[in-house]
Amino acid sequence: MLGAATRRQQTHPPARADALADIVLPDHEGNQVRLGDLWQERPVALVWLRHYG
Amino acid sequence: MDRARKEFEAAGAGLVLIGQLTPRDAAHFRRRREIQLPVLADEKRESYKAAGAKVATVTELIGPKVVAKGTALAAQTGLSQSRTRGHPAQLGGTLVITPDGTVAWSRLSQDASDNAPPEEILAAVREATAAAAPEVG
Repeated sequence: MLGAATRRQQTHPPARADALADIVLPDHEGNQVRLGDLWQERPVALVWLRHYG
Repeated sequence: MDRARKEFEAAGAGLVLIGQLTPRDAAHFRRRREIQLPVLADEKRESYKAAGAKVATVTELIGPKVVAKGTALAAQTGLSQSRTRGHPAQLGGTLVITPDGTVAWSRLSQDASDNAPPEEILAAVREATAAAAPEVG
């Protein structure tokens, strides 16, 4: 139902962002953004939305 | 969250949203919510997995506690959830990352109603910015 998990999952926040750094995602204008570039010069808060509702 | 954008900038930090689905969905979301923040589109949810976010159970999505909290929030903010897009059970969260790649702060949602308040994220960002700044003197 709703693609929900059948068992309660645990979250696993990483201690380092290495696995995120090389992920490349398009922005709202279609530009390709490498996540690691976002924190190269200053701290960044990345907020993952549950959905675009 | 968009209202806090200037405070994040003043704190010397960036603030970026990541959502499911396509760049077109992201653009529509920005227009509809009148958001000026950058919004990235992660159709495959690759970054969600790398961030350690979880997929909710039915109870974590539509259980009584979640519905009650969501209703209260909608009344408080005037914002309500529209049609769900993307994986309906995928939860989100927030990481604050410093220039050396350290995750200085994290809060990943435990259920659909669990979202870090912007003030809490901002406090974490200010702490991270202070820690990342070179010492003077």
